Amino acid sequence: MTIAFAKLSRTICGAVLAAGIGVLATAPAHADEDLWPLLREQAFGDRPISEESGFVVLETPQKVEDAAIVPITVRIPPHVRDQLKSLSIFIDKNPDPKVATLNFGPAAGAGGERSFSTRVRVDNFSHARAVLELEDGSLHMATKFLSAAGGCAAMQAKDPDADMTGLGKTVVRTFSPALSSNPIWSGQVMIKHPNHNGMQLDINTAKFIPARYVKEVKVERDGELVFTLDSTFSISTNPNFRFTFGKGDNNELDVSVVDTDGVAFEGMSKRPSGS
Amino acid sequence: MTNDPRKTPVGPTTPSGCGYGVHGLSRRNVLLASLAIASVPLLRYAPAHAAINDVMEVAPGIFVHQGRYEVQSPANGGDIANASFVVGSEGVAVIDTSGSARLGAQLRDAIRAVTDKPIKYVINTHMHPDHVFGNAAFKQDNPEFVGHYKLARALGTRKDGYLAANEQMIGSEAFAGSEIILPTLSIKEPTKLDLGDRELLLEPQPTAHTDNDLIVTDLKTNTLFLGDLLFSVHVPTIDGSIKGWIDVLDEIGQRKAARVVPGHGPRTMELPEALVPEQRYLSAIADDVRKQIAEGKTLEQATKTAGFSEKDAWKLFDQYHVRNVTAAFAELEWE
Repeated sequence: MTIAFAKLSRTICGAVLAAGIGVLATAPAHADEDLWPLLREQAFGDRPISEESGFVVLETPQKVEDAAIVPITVRIPPHVRDQLKSLSIFIDKNPDPKVATLNFGPAAGAGGERSFSTRVRVDNFSHARAVLELEDGSLHMATKFLSAAGGCAAMQAKDPDADMTGLGKTVVRTFSPALSSNPIWSGQVMIKHPNHNGMQLDINTAKFIPARYVKEVKVERDGELVFTLDSTFSISTNPNFRFTFGKGDNNELDVSVVDTDGVAFEGMSKRPSGS
Repeated sequence: MTNDPRKTPVGPTTPSGCGYGVHGLSRRNVLLASLAIASVPLLRYAPAHAAINDVMEVAPGIFVHQGRYEVQSPANGGDIANASFVVGSEGVAVIDTSGSARLGAQLRDAIRAVTDKPIKYVINTHMHPDHVFGNAAFKQDNPEFVGHYKLARALGTRKDGYLAANEQMIGSEAFAGSEIILPTLSIKEPTKLDLGDRELLLEPQPTAHTDNDLIVTDLKTNTLFLGDLLFSVHVPTIDGSIKGWIDVLDEIGQRKAARVVPGHGPRTMELPEALVPEQRYLSAIADDVRKQIAEGKTLEQATKTAGFSEKDAWKLFDQYHVRNVTAAFAELEWE
């Protein structure tokens, strides 16, 4: 990570919280600068995007308490029957605005409510966006405003030594639906990883701690692809994903993870309890 | 100062009324306080309540200022944490310096109202801004700045964020001159500091409230300065490890001490009762969060219910509790 990059990050973290361990600050003067047209063009060119059309719902906390761990959930309501092609999540003013992109496979499932949840870092007052691409190529967006900021402090580990312990441990769980006829199951992947953003100065060496974060997560159910996820350091330390998938024969999940150092980790679910 | 109810230094102030009340307002304390006021010309220009002019001698040679149960604001100038000093025959040690250079200067004036012995050590119990930003006022004394061996890293990585946030919260005028000063003496093993006819024992702790908590014990009076390992009235804030904190409190509870000085709370409390409300609070969160994790609940769900039985037992609960649950969840889901 370059010095210039770190500088950029510092200049945009004018609305830090983290006094004591943090309370809300007010928005900086430039908070209303709209970066979305640029981001949109980079990601989707001139393709039309329908907004708040009911195809996708983005849930964020009303009040962000800890900008380093902000839970967000994307829901695709049950009336949307199409197969899913991709889902992109943005936080406009994060150093890397593209938080995550999922490309769905045949095991992503249909016939009920589908969802994806994770925890993100929020660097500044910003819009968060979920852009859903359906099988027919149509794009649908939901937007929420995140009125909190962690500035650089959102990126600080509470216990940097503990964060490096057990790096790569990958826990995978499945949750069977209440009704066995429901064709949608849910799963969880937890990855022990500091997700270093490369913006922290190690005062002992006067160098930036190198960026190292989870780059790709691939989830398969009974050997069929649920999704591949391209991830960035906007995902919180110890990346955590909850998602839905289509019911299969065994409903066993295999997860493979690669980080930016090229190190691979794997995890698999145990057979769901009760089966 | 007697007409300001916020500064009434007598009587129990914790919800459970535990542990406080052995050191009332003596004539000597009033005299000291007046001296401190008289020696602080700045006071006339600062808001009357944003001032460290109420240091009280809680044991021979041990003086404590009590911070307010508030979030930093222009009105309180960052005066929200307790700050103390210990006077030996050869020198003085400061233990936490409050939340701005201005408050640090007032603390220094309060010290000078009591003694002209050199200020040899400025000890920070941990990294949080309300305990360290007064350090700048003591640079002129050229003391050793002392902290846990992980304090330097913690302050180094948070420096910009802490400076910007605290200036914004208390205002640039009140914050003027404040800076992050890294420790010149890092404590990795239990270490004694000699103040002349009295020694301080410094014990670095494993990750608890933060990853850089330091317990300071005045061996002469057996007074423990617990920093933010102990909150009273002010809701605890988890910025390290809830499991580690619960363990450290168990260990502290085994100790015998004449008195303990919390980081937030009355000037002095007694063991083991002083720890009970905080232990109850942390256990309530840990128990609820563990239960919800076992049930497959999400972080969002936990933040709406876990630990809410404690809501009425603390000040600033609404400001910090959900954050605490978030931190606890992110830690305990890896058990």
